[in-house]
Amino acid sequence: MKRVLRMLVFLALLAVLLLAAGNRGWGPFVVTEEGTSKVVFMLGDVHDVTQPGLSFRIPLLQSVETYDTRWLYLNTEPLPIQTRDGEELNVDNYVIWRISQPVEFRRAFRSQMGNAQARIDRVVRDDVREVIGRHTLLEVLESKRSDIMSEIAENSRDALLAEGVEIRDVRINRTELPEGTEESVYARMRTERERLAKKSRAEGDEKARRVRAEAERESRVIVASAVRDAEITRGEGDARSAAIYAEGYSQAPDFYAFMRSLEAYQSTLAERTTLVISPQSEFFRYLEGAGPADRAP
Amino acid sequence: MAQGTGGEPPEERARRSVARMLGVGVATLVTLVLLAGWGSLGVFILEPGEAAVLLRLGRYADTRTLPGLHFSLPPPIVTRVVVEVDEVRNEDFGFRGKEAADMPKVAVQEATMQTRDNNIVRVGFAVQYSIKDAFHALYRVADRDAVVRDAAQAAMREAVGKETVDGVLRERRAALADEARSLLQAILDSYGAGLDVRSVQLQNVQPPAPVREAFADVLKANQDASRMVNEAEGYRNTVIPNARAEATETLESAEAYKAETIARATGEAERFRAIAVEYRKAPEITARRMHIETMESVLGGVEKVLVDPGSAGLLPYLPLNLGGGRKP
Repeated sequence: MKRVLRMLVFLALLAVLLLAAGNRGWGPFVVTEEGTSKVVFMLGDVHDVTQPGLSFRIPLLQSVETYDTRWLYLNTEPLPIQTRDGEELNVDNYVIWRISQPVEFRRAFRSQMGNAQARIDRVVRDDVREVIGRHTLLEVLESKRSDIMSEIAENSRDALLAEGVEIRDVRINRTELPEGTEESVYARMRTERERLAKKSRAEGDEKARRVRAEAERESRVIVASAVRDAEITRGEGDARSAAIYAEGYSQAPDFYAFMRSLEAYQSTLAERTTLVISPQSEFFRYLEGAGPADRAP
Repeated sequence: MAQGTGGEPPEERARRSVARMLGVGVATLVTLVLLAGWGSLGVFILEPGEAAVLLRLGRYADTRTLPGLHFSLPPPIVTRVVVEVDEVRNEDFGFRGKEAADMPKVAVQEATMQTRDNNIVRVGFAVQYSIKDAFHALYRVADRDAVVRDAAQAAMREAVGKETVDGVLRERRAALADEARSLLQAILDSYGAGLDVRSVQLQNVQPPAPVREAFADVLKANQDASRMVNEAEGYRNTVIPNARAEATETLESAEAYKAETIARATGEAERFRAIAVEYRKAPEITARRMHIETMESVLGGVEKVLVDPGSAGLLPYLPLNLGGGRKP
């Protein structure tokens, strides 16, 4: 009983020590961490490719190599590309890739990351040139940008799969116009802005003048219709007064003529008038004769 | 012990057994202390905002996010990595800190983008992100900073490429930042990066230096245009009240005329009617009186020449200059 217990404690201790060693790549335990994969070789031949977790090997006979299986980032050099409509464009992109098949990867690149990166760079570069060359500048800039990128990624993925490399994404992160072209774009932008400025000023002028003209029209219409209404009102007044006069005077037309004439004399014969009158007129009836003769002629 | 134990004295045997028990006790104690010490390696405390990713024999086992005390099997059976998850990381693009006036060349390059209408704009922006999945952030993507930097630029360029230059510079700025944010989030998610893009903020968006003046002139032109329109509105706002005032005056004066005329007519008609009533009572004398009174007042003021038509031979000579220097 005691012996068994002692044995167990000893074994546990041994296991822990071997595990600790396995973490460092020694001993029979192979601990594969997340984000990596290990290839176990039996005297140079591939014996096993591990998943994260615990695996075993025969020390001394079997050796182990570790590969990073996380998504890796690779920035490719910007390269000048001609689009289908003849525009020159500097395209800078990056690649997200990983080692999907460590054995194939090892065979293709002898485990050298540098070799793999150079190869990926070359493949992606060719695909970028080929795919973008089939599109116009406008399509690259806007409408088909994501289609173009996924087509490039697709092509590159197919080309590299056999070499144990999986391309996840090829993404254009920068497109630049070359020096000379940039200047001509600036010139075009400038003339476009000048056109917009002119248009804006002219439209402002147009609108202002329309507002003024409308105001002018409106005010004249207001005044004119007031004049019209005023004349109508005056006419009503005149008509009413004419009616009133006619109604009043028609009761004694002769007397009206007499009285109105007298009034007219009074107002028309001013101080500086010279009258040549006959003394025989009614007014002077008594000027030469005498006595109030009630029997007038 | 090679010898038999039968020959030993009892006290010797007792001492041996005590020593042996002591030895076992010490060994047990040491073992227990060692075990406890080893086990304590599996005890850890998480601060708020931290997460621990636990790997059992290299394989993912658990993510602990609650702050406080945690237990797990000790290493090397279970290993753990602690990361700050709530910490907001910031990346600036196209500008460095607050300097904007003379940016280094690389910043200008980062900020230079092409719009849908093939204009060039400079867009400086900042991205804030944090870790939303500690395990993915640690074990799915290598070189996190470089990936975020390039993906953010790709996202912003794609978003800017969907807009016109006027949209980028003015009316669609908020939508642009939003679009870039969701594009970046989608890109990072497609890598399984375990990152959360908190915000994308546009900073310092402007046309490139060679054309800045032309852009400013457009703004000025817009202001000029609205100023002209405002002036015209002002003109309208004085001219129309003036016209209304004039119209009111005209109408009121017409009303006044009407009332006046009718009043005068009524008055005169009434006066006539009154006189006519009296006239009818004594027509002869009234007429005469009126005639004489009128003649009196009329002839009182005028030059008079009395000529008797009966006196033939008298030339009715009219002295035209009579009336004192009256011009002909």
